[in-house]
Amino acid sequence: MLRNATLLILCLGFGTLSRGAATAAEDPIDRRFTAEVFPFLDAYCLDCHAGKEPEGDFDLSRFTSAAAVSGDHPHWERVLDQLREEQMPPKKAKEKPTAETRRQIVSWIQDIRQRDAKKTAGDPGPVLARRLSNAEYDYTLRDLTGSDLRPTKEFPVDPANQAGFDNSGESLTMSPGLLKKYLQAARSVSENLILTQDGLAFAPHPMMADTDRDKYFVLRIVDFYKRQPTDYADYFEAAWRFQNRAKLGQRHATLSDIAAAAKVSPKYLATIWATLNDPHERVGPIFDLQKMWRTLPTPTAPGSLSPHAACVAMRDFVMTLRTKLVPEVENLTGPGINNGAQAFVLWKDRQMAANRRRYDPSALMIEGTIPAVEPPPVADKKSRKRVHKPRQPDPALAIPADPAERARHEAAYARFASVFPDAFYISERARVFLDTDEDKNNGGRLLSAGFHSMTGYFRDDGPLYDMVLDDAAREELDHLWNEFELVASVPHRMHSSMIWFERTDSSFMIDAQFDFARAEDKDCSSREKIRQLADVYYAKAKTRGASGAALAAIKEHFERVQANVTRVDRMREEAEPKHLRALGDFAGRAFRRPLKESERADLVAFYHTLRKDDGLDHEDAVRDCLVSVLMSPNFLYRVDLAEAGGLPALAGNPSKAPATKMSATMPKGALPLSDYALASRLSYFLWSSMPDAELLARAAAGDLQRPGVLAAQAKRMLQDDRSRAMAVEFGGNWLDFRRFEEHNAVDRERFPMFNDKLRESMFQEPIHFLTDLIRHDRSVLDLLYGDYTFVDPLLAKFYGMAVPPGPDDQWTRVEQVSKVGRGGLLPMSVFLTHNSPGLRTSPVKRGYWVVRQLLGEHIPPPPATVPALPADEAHLGELNLRETLERHRADPSCAACHARFDSMGLVFEGFGPVGEHRDKDLGGKPVDDHAIFPGGSEGSGLAGLKTYLHEHREGDFVDNLSRKLLAYALGRTLQLSDEPGLAEMRRKLAADGFRFGSLVESIVSSPQFLNKRGPDDLATR
Amino acid sequence: MRDPKANSLAARRFRISRRTFLRGVGVTMALPWLESLPSFAAEPVAKGAAPVLPKRFAALFWGNGVNANHWSAKGTGASMELSKSLGPLEPFKAKMNLIDGLFNRSAVGVGIHPGQTGNLLSGKPLTKGAVLHGGISMDQVLANHIGQDTVQPSMVLGCEQPVTGYHETNFSMAYSSHISWQSADSPVPMEVYPSLAFDSLFENRGSRRNQSILDRVKDDTSSLVRKVSANDKAKLDEYLTSVREVEKRIDRMRAQSDKAADTAREAGKPLFTMKRPDNGLPEDIREHMKLMCDLTALAFQTDKTRVVSLLLCRDLSGLFYPFLGVRKSHHPASHDDLSDDFEKITRYYVGQLAYLAQRLDAMPEGEGTTVLDNSCLLFLSNMWSGNKHDSTRLPLLTVGGLGGSLETGRVLNYLEKGDENRKVCSLYLSLMDRMGVNLPQFGDADARLAGI
Repeated sequence: MLRNATLLILCLGFGTLSRGAATAAEDPIDRRFTAEVFPFLDAYCLDCHAGKEPEGDFDLSRFTSAAAVSGDHPHWERVLDQLREEQMPPKKAKEKPTAETRRQIVSWIQDIRQRDAKKTAGDPGPVLARRLSNAEYDYTLRDLTGSDLRPTKEFPVDPANQAGFDNSGESLTMSPGLLKKYLQAARSVSENLILTQDGLAFAPHPMMADTDRDKYFVLRIVDFYKRQPTDYADYFEAAWRFQNRAKLGQRHATLSDIAAAAKVSPKYLATIWATLNDPHERVGPIFDLQKMWRTLPTPTAPGSLSPHAACVAMRDFVMTLRTKLVPEVENLTGPGINNGAQAFVLWKDRQMAANRRRYDPSALMIEGTIPAVEPPPVADKKSRKRVHKPRQPDPALAIPADPAERARHEAAYARFASVFPDAFYISERARVFLDTDEDKNNGGRLLSAGFHSMTGYFRDDGPLYDMVLDDAAREELDHLWNEFELVASVPHRMHSSMIWFERTDSSFMIDAQFDFARAEDKDCSSREKIRQLADVYYAKAKTRGASGAALAAIKEHFERVQANVTRVDRMREEAEPKHLRALGDFAGRAFRRPLKESERADLVAFYHTLRKDDGLDHEDAVRDCLVSVLMSPNFLYRVDLAEAGGLPALAGNPSKAPATKMSATMPKGALPLSDYALASRLSYFLWSSMPDAELLARAAAGDLQRPGVLAAQAKRMLQDDRSRAMAVEFGGNWLDFRRFEEHNAVDRERFPMFNDKLRESMFQEPIHFLTDLIRHDRSVLDLLYGDYTFVDPLLAKFYGMAVPPGPDDQWTRVEQVSKVGRGGLLPMSVFLTHNSPGLRTSPVKRGYWVVRQLLGEHIPPPPATVPALPADEAHLGELNLRETLERHRADPSCAACHARFDSMGLVFEGFGPVGEHRDKDLGGKPVDDHAIFPGGSEGSGLAGLKTYLHEHREGDFVDNLSRKLLAYALGRTLQLSDEPGLAEMRRKLAADGFRFGSLVESIVSSPQFLNKRGPDDLATR
Repeated sequence: MRDPKANSLAARRFRISRRTFLRGVGVTMALPWLESLPSFAAEPVAKGAAPVLPKRFAALFWGNGVNANHWSAKGTGASMELSKSLGPLEPFKAKMNLIDGLFNRSAVGVGIHPGQTGNLLSGKPLTKGAVLHGGISMDQVLANHIGQDTVQPSMVLGCEQPVTGYHETNFSMAYSSHISWQSADSPVPMEVYPSLAFDSLFENRGSRRNQSILDRVKDDTSSLVRKVSANDKAKLDEYLTSVREVEKRIDRMRAQSDKAADTAREAGKPLFTMKRPDNGLPEDIREHMKLMCDLTALAFQTDKTRVVSLLLCRDLSGLFYPFLGVRKSHHPASHDDLSDDFEKITRYYVGQLAYLAQRLDAMPEGEGTTVLDNSCLLFLSNMWSGNKHDSTRLPLLTVGGLGGSLETGRVLNYLEKGDENRKVCSLYLSLMDRMGVNLPQFGDADARLAGI
């Protein structure tokens, strides 16, 4: 019904247009059509191109007026090409036009194109509200969740439009099958959701199982610890820098400045500084350390290196001494109770944590006393088990026997232990109730409480927290631990596994009186059950004769369990409303615009429906709400593109700006995009992804269309990492290497160096090149002539370059690579390999790639009857590939086209089928890379091609790049009305020194980009 | 104005009332088990052709091995002689296979307990320390392949909560707690509460959750479609059509099941004969396991899922068996694995399998066959001897003939066939084949088990 109505309007539209044109008979274009063009068609064309079965399915009989030509410019562009290139009328035709007549018609077509282009210049064109492409979907989810999940790995590949890009409504369709993929993808994203204390976050992996939750937080907390500056040597070096700041040329540097430069904690550096310079230290370890400090060399010049080795020696002095001073904590035990019981192990953990800044006076050797060779007997052998081997007397720890002197030394040791903790934090712990030797192989138990088998974590980072961290870092750390306990239900799970352990491995809770406590039961950590268990456990321990200390620890344990469980339950309760608010915020980000109040309310209503009617719990309901957001067309579709087509502005006010800047160039019938729509358009152009916070803030402020603001945003965004997407999606599709990661046409037995890793490196090379060019706004001509490229160690080796130092995944820019035959896009192995059929090179494919992808030349497909070349170069027989091609070109039906590109492939003959350098082809014949280019100039190899391109084809290259980028930016095929803008774009590019950014500036300020066709626009063709 | 929403709400209400009705039936019925839903749903492809009935798979695990003195059988079919511990399987001799001598190479020589368990169904080596890594388990592979045809791809049940600390071997205790892994890095969270497992089958998981979401998406899209121009509308209509199409598919699946239920009711044979288990955990472990077996039977009967994994007890289990007169808990008892006590425990677990088999065998499905005949219950433990912690030989048996594709009534012994020819992963490949999932390789095996 509706479709018919549209058709009707379109037909009426045409009618109006034709009538309008007919009345304006004064136009010389119309006069010339009647006088020159129509007779020409009649004489030379309509014999074949008319009737029921027009030649080549190309009917010219319906063009009876200039207006009809205006109505189908794409058709007439082909007429223009055929005439200009003298392809038509065909050579065999009886009647042929004179050169003058041909010129006349060509000029008429050019004139009417120019006239019409001017008339509709800047027409936004048909841009449909389409779904996100696979690439856009992946990038958007990445920016939305912070994890690069790439669910479209398992989606069907998006088809490309005529311009070669997969980002337009012309080609992006939807199907039930695809919808199910989206649903699966949304579900799997929702499984990565973390319901945090303040809202929602995403993990890079599913968070459904307890083990996943543990892993996520434990790794983050340990990572936080490891990031903190806790190496004493760094502090000594920083202190030295401060001490010698004047000589080092930093007279005015404060201690904080030095700390910042050295990346150490200013707070702890102050402590160290004060300690090293404390004049009251006269005896003991700090005094000894000060001696080392004072002998550090004085710098001679501002650039002097700090005395690293000496500072390391100071650190080693501290560490060696400190290890000897750690107080021992003996196991707490009780009759019938397992040594690994949670109450006892956690008690011991707490003692050790409290001792971090204390020392053990009994470790010191009082001068004149003779140490016992045997360790003193332990008071109660049965219930006490030592953790550490008894200390051996150490002369390094000798102190005087005189009581006053001894007290002075002991005080010095106490200060030393306090400034230098035995550990700033504990990141892993084996079973703490065993001899360290017994469990020494059990590393990697991150943040573990040191239990046997039971789930258990213990936080021990007091010295770090108190001495090193500033307020912000403390808050971050507290937050991480709270989040961990909340999301992974740490206290609850510790308690339930305690019940399991005490009833199995330890059999303390084996009797029937404990039967009420069951680890399987969620209710086992209810307030009542914890209390009940505490009572029964305590009573049994007491009856069995546990010591006062043990009983106290048991009592404290259950109190702590109760408190921790209550605290986490309360956190959870308080967090729930925040999750709902966060859902709304998430939806706003996903929809790339602020959420309307009604939409927010709808989402919350959906949540309550899921809770009430569907019986989901809070977490599942939040997850399903999230899935519904990710399945909404407001997320999956570029609804912004629909906006001016009748959809009210996305949010806020429609832009007020066009009145100022765009009115002069505002195409007829076009409507300006709102700021939010423009933000999306810009970010999907430059990043293939959603707008970031800053861009949305500009949209909210309503000044995106103010002169300069959009351009400034574009500039900022091009410099951002995310513009890599442009290199991959625009560059990859333009240059046809987007799917090279799946390229499997290489015979790996013949080319064993070609493996998946090298293929990946080849794929990455142009991406690094383009990303660098985009981010640093370099000249687009570097793509052709740049004497540099980017390599990782693997590619460097493959190219025969010196391998830059660094890890395997490090990419380095290398200069003057023409020495090894590389530089710019042309000799990149990805293109040379992609355009080879496997066991031979293909000058045809390589040359075709140059003229088609780089220079934008249109070449018709070969006729179906062409004989294929042998697949293997070694099977060519007497001729080499060049000679075989020459023979092929001798056929006139092939020659016309092949003359246009074979030469540009032959120059690459010095590169084998995987882009490797070679002197001989696979048949053992010497290679020849000399070529005669179209127009007659000659050259050899890469240098010859570059010279030819520079002298004859640079304009084509620039023109093609401009067209491709504009088509990519607009998400549609170009049309005649884009021509004036393109001409201006090229002019400006040359004036701007060929900076890439100039192209982007032209595009984002073009009327096509800033506007959308209005609903009444009849220019639709 | 908002017609679509009203419609979908009405539809939802209808579903709820239907469910409530069925549940009501369940509550009042304390009948024997009846036919399976597929036997009412299946329509013969051609006249005379037998309907295609679904195949089901369940893996039942218990930890710490058996009393080896009482785990054996001789003979074939009805004349098979079962040892003491296998006694409960007496009625199923013709429908079972005792498969002796298989092992899981990745679980040998790596340290006891968790390292012998977490990869039992995956055959992949496990990683020690804080970051878990193993392999996807074969039940989840099945779920990924055949789970789309049912309300829930699989049901993962357990009778003990997972523990995630570190074992002395430095493997995470999570490996002792989970046999089902959805990926190399993540176990499938298991349901320990019978009431919640019941709800997940009959209330709100799987297709129903998607349906609620799609309803909402449909409303969103419709309201957007009304606002846009004709050209854009065409694009968004494409989306709306896709949403509707997917909804229709889900509806078809439901309708099929509803229709079958109606047919069953008309024939005077109500299907849902299990009442929703009470909230909370059953006090008695016997009741707990029985409910989990009932749920498995019900899931198969009503074709809600075709893949179940049931962890009857963990490795290093802390379950108690006072009703057997055993006061030690499971793991300590297993250290005296040749004792009478541990024989009783072993026999108790075989009894659970027999109970589930009996349930399934009471459900007619197809011509003279039962749901059990169309299923395979894989019953296995992680070690042979709990005292020696010996995992070079697994106690393992199967019950059910997978729709005639698995020959039964046999005692198979692979112990002397050489390590290459006695991989438990080879058995998995053979079983997955029969479920219609043909993989070239699984775990450490790239060949099917000979003679199965």
